[in-house]
Amino acid sequence: MITIVLRGIFCKLHIVCCIKQVPDTTQVKIDPQTNTLIRTGVESICNPYDIVAVEAAVKLAEKNGGKVTVITMGPPQADSALRDCLAVGANEAILLSDRAFAGADTLATSYTLSQAVKKISATEQVDIVICGKQAIDGDTAQVGPGLATRLGFEQITYISEVISASKDKIRVKREVDGGSEIIETKYPVLMTVELELGLPRYASLPELVRSVRQEVKVWGAVDIGANIEQLGLKGSPTSVKEIFAPKTRTGGAVIDAQGNGVNQFLDTFFQKEPEVVKEIWGGGA
Amino acid sequence: MNETFDVAIVGAGPAGISAAITLANAGIKTVVVERGEYPGAKNMSGGVLYGHDLGQILPDFTKIPGFPIERNIIESRIWYLSKEAGISVGYRDSIFAGERKQNVFTVGRAKFDRWYADQARKKGALIVPATVVLDLIRENGRVTGVQTGRADGDIHAKVVLIADGVNSRLAVTAGFRPDVKPEHVALAVKEVIELAPEIIDQRFGVSDGNGVTTEILGAVAGGMDGVGVLYTNKASISLALGANLADFSKTKLKPYDLIETFKKHPMVAPLIAGGKSLEYTAHWLPEGGYDTMPKLYGDGYLIAGDSAMLFNAPHREGSNLAMLSGKMAADTIIEAMKTGDFSAKSLSAYNTKLSESKILQDMKKYRGFGGFLYDHKEIFETMPEIVQFGGRELLTVNAESKKTKQDKIIKKLRKDMGIPRFVRLMWSGFRAVK
Amino acid sequence: MPKNAKGRDIAEIIPAKCIGCQLCVGECKVDAIRMENGVAIIDSEKCIGCGKCVDVCPSNAVLFEKIRKKKAVIPAAEVKPGTEANIKPEYHGVAVFIEVVRGEVSDVSWELAGKARELADKLQTEVIGLLLGSNVGEVAKEAIAYGCDSVYVMDKPVLAAYFSRMYGRALVSMCEQVKPEIVLIGATPLGRDLSSVVATQLQTGLTADCTGLDIEPDIKLLSMTRPTFGGNIMATIWCRTRRPQMSTVRPRVMKMPVKDPARSGEIIPLDFSADGITVPQLIEFLPRAAEAGGVDITKAPVLVVAGKGACDAKSLPMLEQLAQVMGGSLACSRPVIQAGLLPYVRQVGQTGKTVAPQLYIGVGVSGAVQHLVGMQGSRKIVAINIDKEAPLVKIADYSLIGDYKQIIPELIKGFEARSSQLKNKPQSNLKGSQA
Repeated sequence: MITIVLRGIFCKLHIVCCIKQVPDTTQVKIDPQTNTLIRTGVESICNPYDIVAVEAAVKLAEKNGGKVTVITMGPPQADSALRDCLAVGANEAILLSDRAFAGADTLATSYTLSQAVKKISATEQVDIVICGKQAIDGDTAQVGPGLATRLGFEQITYISEVISASKDKIRVKREVDGGSEIIETKYPVLMTVELELGLPRYASLPELVRSVRQEVKVWGAVDIGANIEQLGLKGSPTSVKEIFAPKTRTGGAVIDAQGNGVNQFLDTFFQKEPEVVKEIWGGGA
Repeated sequence: MNETFDVAIVGAGPAGISAAITLANAGIKTVVVERGEYPGAKNMSGGVLYGHDLGQILPDFTKIPGFPIERNIIESRIWYLSKEAGISVGYRDSIFAGERKQNVFTVGRAKFDRWYADQARKKGALIVPATVVLDLIRENGRVTGVQTGRADGDIHAKVVLIADGVNSRLAVTAGFRPDVKPEHVALAVKEVIELAPEIIDQRFGVSDGNGVTTEILGAVAGGMDGVGVLYTNKASISLALGANLADFSKTKLKPYDLIETFKKHPMVAPLIAGGKSLEYTAHWLPEGGYDTMPKLYGDGYLIAGDSAMLFNAPHREGSNLAMLSGKMAADTIIEAMKTGDFSAKSLSAYNTKLSESKILQDMKKYRGFGGFLYDHKEIFETMPEIVQFGGRELLTVNAESKKTKQDKIIKKLRKDMGIPRFVRLMWSGFRAVK
Repeated sequence: MPKNAKGRDIAEIIPAKCIGCQLCVGECKVDAIRMENGVAIIDSEKCIGCGKCVDVCPSNAVLFEKIRKKKAVIPAAEVKPGTEANIKPEYHGVAVFIEVVRGEVSDVSWELAGKARELADKLQTEVIGLLLGSNVGEVAKEAIAYGCDSVYVMDKPVLAAYFSRMYGRALVSMCEQVKPEIVLIGATPLGRDLSSVVATQLQTGLTADCTGLDIEPDIKLLSMTRPTFGGNIMATIWCRTRRPQMSTVRPRVMKMPVKDPARSGEIIPLDFSADGITVPQLIEFLPRAAEAGGVDITKAPVLVVAGKGACDAKSLPMLEQLAQVMGGSLACSRPVIQAGLLPYVRQVGQTGKTVAPQLYIGVGVSGAVQHLVGMQGSRKIVAINIDKEAPLVKIADYSLIGDYKQIIPELIKGFEARSSQLKNKPQSNLKGSQA
């Protein structure tokens, strides 16, 4: 108990988590006849990488003392994703919701989020921002680094483990091509996290009740002092030209493996695919 | 957890939420525990609601923003089908588009239940989602709360309302109700088929957000004791089919196959042609009727809705009975709060309210209906064939005189069923619903 | 045509087509559109029937009578030839960021150089290499051999290891000096990290993980196509008014060009100042653990992939043997990882690796969407499955229907019998495939 109190005095981290509410893409299916998305019954969930980020933040705050604020940009319904985060231990939640934010690409999104983090930081200085590595609906992995850049924070992406943290620095493991790096940095820092970091806890009933009851602040463009030209559709340099169903490959020969089927297949393959055979094995004699 | 409540409600369906709204209106501290990710996540129904009954709980419900109505029903049809043919009777009345608007209307349950739960929340009820209630907490034989599956998960309350649906584990675990017998429930499957609103308007001859319901009897479920419904939503059609669970296990018929066959029936196919299947769900319906109802109250607890087996099978009324019973349970609790007495004796007022209302009166009236259908399989097999034979004979114009045709039909009836049996069937049918 | 109480024709959303992009919400002038469960909903009483939402909807999910025949959100005809392409005429050339990690060039950089060549030819411009690192002189020459016309180099000791802000400043400074109209970056962990830093500082558009890049005829914009919604739909993106147009591309999506050491080009060193930049401290680099076998399933020419139908510890050695005989590697779909039979590095699919081998052999792989997005680029697909209705069979070039326990030994035997005719004995091709 005493250690907790002492830590509370000497080391208080303020951590902001940026989350996104996404459609559960594992449930999204394409209607083969019309090539449109079947979305009925597809639930909106908190992006899985982001909920891992919140859990990591809560653990950091528990160990070192401090506070976790969750923010998201989205429609009023995104409130429920924020409450999921409150249930697993976040202290405060802010919903950035404004018509002017709609249609934002990653550049406009990172601008909106950065304005919000700056506003939060003005009253309570932010030491760490944690984001999920990417969102499962867009898979871009751009907002985190973009936000770090706008805030002028150090940026460490693809974190798979938090090794240690103290009042002014943090040591983490990050995954890169061919291996992992152990990195240490001072605050302020923005980190993006991998799923390996660990699933969120199952909220206790009092925590859950708190999350249902707690007020979620709603901030609009004016609240975060945003330049309207940099928001939403207006502030997005990229635009969607068109959307279409992915080209699907059409199936080829279906061979019954009974009898001589396997050998038949090999003969056909070597005969009909000389280029592939050449590419892999330097070609037949 | 430390916090205590006046009332703990298990289940955020129509019964639980109706009670929560009523209690919250009276300023009573209420918590609703729902196992689904959100209210409505686990619910299913054909999707028909009744304005009068909803109005008991939420007067002026049509004026509340976001009221998720699909279509206002102005015509009710009944079909009696054989495998290849069918008789259709319908009643349409302009009064239902005018002064009695929203007498009957369709809703999407996922949307409606969320909206409905929001009304309870706005009035001050606490709704806790994604939490399973494992058991009741008892002290000295009285129910004093519920135990949930979360850490620090006990909720203490003065009274508990059990409204967790037809396969209420809680009522069974607590020993208030025996496990459901397969013959007392129907397995209902529902498919929602998307169609453009204009196409639905055209096919059903409606406009301006009005729609049609169709209740279907006869050979719809492969000879099983089954019924179907076809309801119009804003931009989709709900097609549902239910049959006795015991029959399903006997016949080994697959619900999905049945609904696929049903979709090809000449009465159904043209109405859904070109539509796209949006969802497919399955659920139980408590069809056992009056005689399968458990005792609905005890020391510190009440049971409402499907948990209490409140369901009017012949009229396909379930959600509204759930709502009304939830409200009556809440009214009972409000009275008990005044005296602070939550004993079985005090809560027995709930039973009186139910008995004096249409709920139990209707349940009693139709108490024999489920058994009647179950015992008279000819309604689902032989009779439809005779009807089809008769229809074809009468309506095919050929050299035969009408008298010859009539004789043929009576001969068929004699041969396939026998006149005494037919008369007995009619008589027991009448007795079952009188 | 629906009308509201005021008798106005109003727009309607087709929920099944709505992809929840919210473009219409921002476009609506009267605040009549809101999102509910990820689908746009129009408030009929607020809607004034202006049709703006129809124009902006990328998936034709808005029903409106006044609908004009509309193929694209931004009909190409609306963009006058020359206007947008020349919006910033000082920007020209197709640039490729050449990624060097611990002294080694990532293959994707050369793959992109090949693509850049193709794009540059369509634009009648040059291919520019952008190279950062320490002691990378040789790499610059290689870049020319792979098709760059000129290579800008910042060769500094501070750039020896990758740090976001250090590299970010270097590449931003390079782009500001060189002014390329297009910048392509490999969608590696490093590239995805860096590209966003640079795009944010340059305040330009960035499209991640593109699978297709092309030049729109007439208007000369870069059309960037990428999968979205977990690969369920494809979106083509434009960056109309800002430069450079930036895109990242996953490894092995573009074809590796032929190296031509005889090509000539210009190497231009640029200065770099790291003043005022702090970097985190790299304590240690841990190469990927040996238990994973050092396997890189993305590099194998042949992949034998175990699926749910072959999720059996006893069968894996047999599959491994087939992979070895063919000179490939063993990989798997998600259920096999969940069963704990193989490590995560061997997983193919949305949550695993994207692979594009010459030959993909799926054994008991049913072919869920999440798996298909990770292997659809394979050159030839063979499905071995007991169920001829499996989704993978529907897209496979060859399907062998039957029990894999019987098929695989026959395949091994049959292939070995034929391998004597092959020029490269597969065994010699075997690198790091032992588990």
